[in-house]
Parts: sequence; structure tokens; C-alpha cells
Amino acid sequence: MFEKILFATTASPTCDDAAKVAFNLSLKYESEKLYVFHALGVPTRGFSPFVKDVRTGETEQGDPDYIQWVKEEMKNTYAKLIDTVENCELETTVGVPHTEILRMARKKDVELIVMGAHTRQEDIGATRYRSVAGMTMQKVAKAARCPVLIISRPCTTCFKLFSHIIFGTDFSKASDSAFLFAYKAAKDVGARLYLFHSCDISSLQAGKVPGQAEIEEKIKEARRKMEQKYVSKMGDFDNYEIEIWEGIPYVEILKFAREKQADLIVMAHHTREIDPDEAELGSTVEQVVLRSACPVASVNHPDKVASP
Amino acid sequence: MNNITLMRDGSIVQNGETVESVLLMFLGFKVDLEKGYTLRSWFQMLGKYSLLASLNAFLPTSIEQYLACPANGCCFDGFDHLEFNKTVEMIGFPGNPRLEIYNSFHGIKSHKTFALKSVRMENILDMSVRLGKLKHVVFGDKVDIFEFDTVFSLFEFIDGIAWELSFHGSPKQCEIGR
Repeated sequence: MFEKILFATTASPTCDDAAKVAFNLSLKYESEKLYVFHALGVPTRGFSPFVKDVRTGETEQGDPDYIQWVKEEMKNTYAKLIDTVENCELETTVGVPHTEILRMARKKDVELIVMGAHTRQEDIGATRYRSVAGMTMQKVAKAARCPVLIISRPCTTCFKLFSHIIFGTDFSKASDSAFLFAYKAAKDVGARLYLFHSCDISSLQAGKVPGQAEIEEKIKEARRKMEQKYVSKMGDFDNYEIEIWEGIPYVEILKFAREKQADLIVMAHHTREIDPDEAELGSTVEQVVLRSACPVASVNHPDKVASP
Repeated sequence: MNNITLMRDGSIVQNGETVESVLLMFLGFKVDLEKGYTLRSWFQMLGKYSLLASLNAFLPTSIEQYLACPANGCCFDGFDHLEFNKTVEMIGFPGNPRLEIYNSFHGIKSHKTFALKSVRMENILDMSVRLGKLKHVVFGDKVDIFEFDTVFSLFEFIDGIAWELSFHGSPKQCEIGR
């Protein structure tokens, strides 16, 4: 399922949990290649030999020696994990992180990008007012042609033993791609697939709270769409459940994931029918990534998930 | 003046008298905690003054978790106590220079702070809660942090803890796929 995996790292402890998942995936799926990739800095100007470190803001001389030194550091950091897989390649480059990650993913034609939610260790209180999930993650998730697996907490189960996969949908076009990934993953590992939708009845929406009849109508409509859009595509796969709740979507999906002890949440990267070029990471996904105890896969393109 | 005391049983006292129904004007009042105040007291307060539970979208979920916990003995020796802090942080990079002010709620063990998100609710509910200091972080220097005495409003105290608890929850165990 994952022949080529790209693990995008800041080469700092914030990516340790993501590193474990990436190496574990590579090991279990006997992937052809695991690329461990780090964009170390941005040139101070044009073709300047100096680079500004993306995390510290310090200026370094980005010559081959420095790049070699960074690679050595990466090798030392992941030494134990590197020993567990056969085909690991360390890559590093100078450039804007999200652009370089996307470039690398395209160049190597990877099937999955694994990354942490943050560029640096954040205090939970502080995340509230910052660009919540790291900007790099946000931009990669928005533009990637393959699924992006975002890890923000230690993962207690390895991918192959996942038993509960939740697919959160808003019935958008991007959600169709997310469904394909969730379905394939559930089928592959023998997990139960929960097709989940939350009817947004938050009173925050212009202060209007719909009546009970209207909510019930919405739930009925959502169930019909689930059957039509997703169940019809699953053939004889019967290890699934449809759940439709009402409330604030990100609150409900997190509540549901906790209740089911979910191992993976799969969502489209943006939650409205808008031009993908203009889409920001949907606030629902952002909130879910931040708080989810399990990994979150953001899928917004059918390229790497459409094949059977 | 403009002080309220949060009691161990969850009630709110102003000028020696228990507040019967919480008024929004108390949200800006400075809070003091009765000795022995615990996280359970905080939830009991939300139970007594239900209006406060609508301050955060995740509070109903946290309250559900709280109600499912044992009635006592919810402690563990990983922390000495829980502490509510305020941080003022000057940030120079990345992005434009800016100053951010936020609250945080941590576990404290031997003067070191630990995140609560991976600790289960039934392990911290009966741990004492203390009001900490204001920390001033200058340009990411987390070693030389200035600390000052400060005050916390009732709103900060509820909202800050609710925000932190909304990150709570880690799977108890993993199940083997069929």
C-alpha cells in the first residue's frame, strides 16, 4: 500500500512521534523506499551562500560541508530507527520547507507523506493564537497529491494493527478521495470503518439554532448521501458503520474518535466545496489534528488513492 | 475589591457570602482558591453554575469524562500538584515580531512542568490546583524566564483550563484488528 514514503522532519524532538510511525510503516509494508527529508533553511537572498535557519532565524553558511554536517546529525538522531529498515535515504536541501517537501514528494512519486503537526514544541495554551497547526503542515496538506499522515501524539498502535478507522466527511469532492484512502486502509488492515458525518447545528452559525424536525431531516439526508456516495462503492465489504451526529463538526468527530478509541481519522483537507487552489486547511481538520489522540490523514487528491 | 474565592466544594464566595447564581459580571473578578482546591472542585463549580459550562465547546465532553471518573482517589504520583499560569511571550521569529499572552495549565513535579494531555482524567481529578506566576519569555529563551506575581480572572481560570482539557485523551489500549 505504501511503496514510497516521505517522512518530512524538522530534525527536532517535535518530530519524534512522527518518525516512529514513518519507520514503522516502512518496515511493516516493506516499502521500496523511505525518504527522510529535512529542508534546513532559506537562502538569505537570491543565490546567497548563506541560509537562514527556518526554526531559529540564525544565519548559517549553506555550503556542502554544512549540508553534510546536517545529514550526519540526522543520521545520529534517527540511528536506532534507521537500523530497523533497509531502504532509508536521508535527504536535505536549502529552501522554503513546504515547497521543498512538495517538490520532493512529486520528484520521488511518493504514496504517503508523514509529518508532525508542529515545527517547534508549542505550549498548548500558545497554540490557540498561533497559526494553529504548523504552517508547513498546513501548506503541504493543502497542495499534496498524495495522502498526508499527520502525527501529533505518540501512536500506541502500529498501522497494520489498526482496528478502528474513522472517515469524517462533509460530502465534498475532496472527501471522495479521503474516502478511497480510508476504505483501502480499512480493507488492507482489517479495521472497522466508521463513515462519520456531523450535521453542523452549532449556534455559532449566525445565532440560528435549527428545530428538531429540521435536524432529523438533515440526518436522514446525510444517511441517504452516505449510502449513495460511499456504501455503493464498497462492494461486499461489510465491516463498516454509518454514524451521523449533530453539533459542531470538530467537537463531534473528536468525541466520536474518543468513544471508539479510533486509531486513525481520515478527512479531506478542506471541508467546503471551494477551489482547491484557494482552500486553506479547513478549520475542522485543523482543530482535529491539534486535539486528536490518534494520527490524522489528510487526503485531498485522488492521484494516489484512486487505484484499486 | 472585585475578588471572589473558589471553594473546594465548587461554590463561589464573594465578601463572605456564597454566590447563588453566577452572574456574568463575576467573569472579570480576580480569583482566589480555597486551600485544598482540586480539579474536581473546578468541575463541581461548573455543575453548580451551569451557565459557565457554555464558555467552551469542549466543556460538555470534559464534564462527561469527569462524571465517568471514580468519586475519589483520582491522584497519581507523577505530579506534586497542578498549576495554572499565565505567559507573556515576545516572539521575534518566525513571522513578524509580536507579543502573545496566554494561559496554561500544567502538572508540576519537583518544580518542573509537564503537559497534561497524555494523562488520564482519573489520574488528576483529586490533585490540588494552585495559581502560579506570570512567566515572561523573551525571544524564545526558555531558560532565563522572568517570573512575576500576577492575578487571574474567573474567565481566564475557566477558559484556560477548559482549553487545556480539550486536548485531553489518549487511547487506553490498542485492540488487535480482526
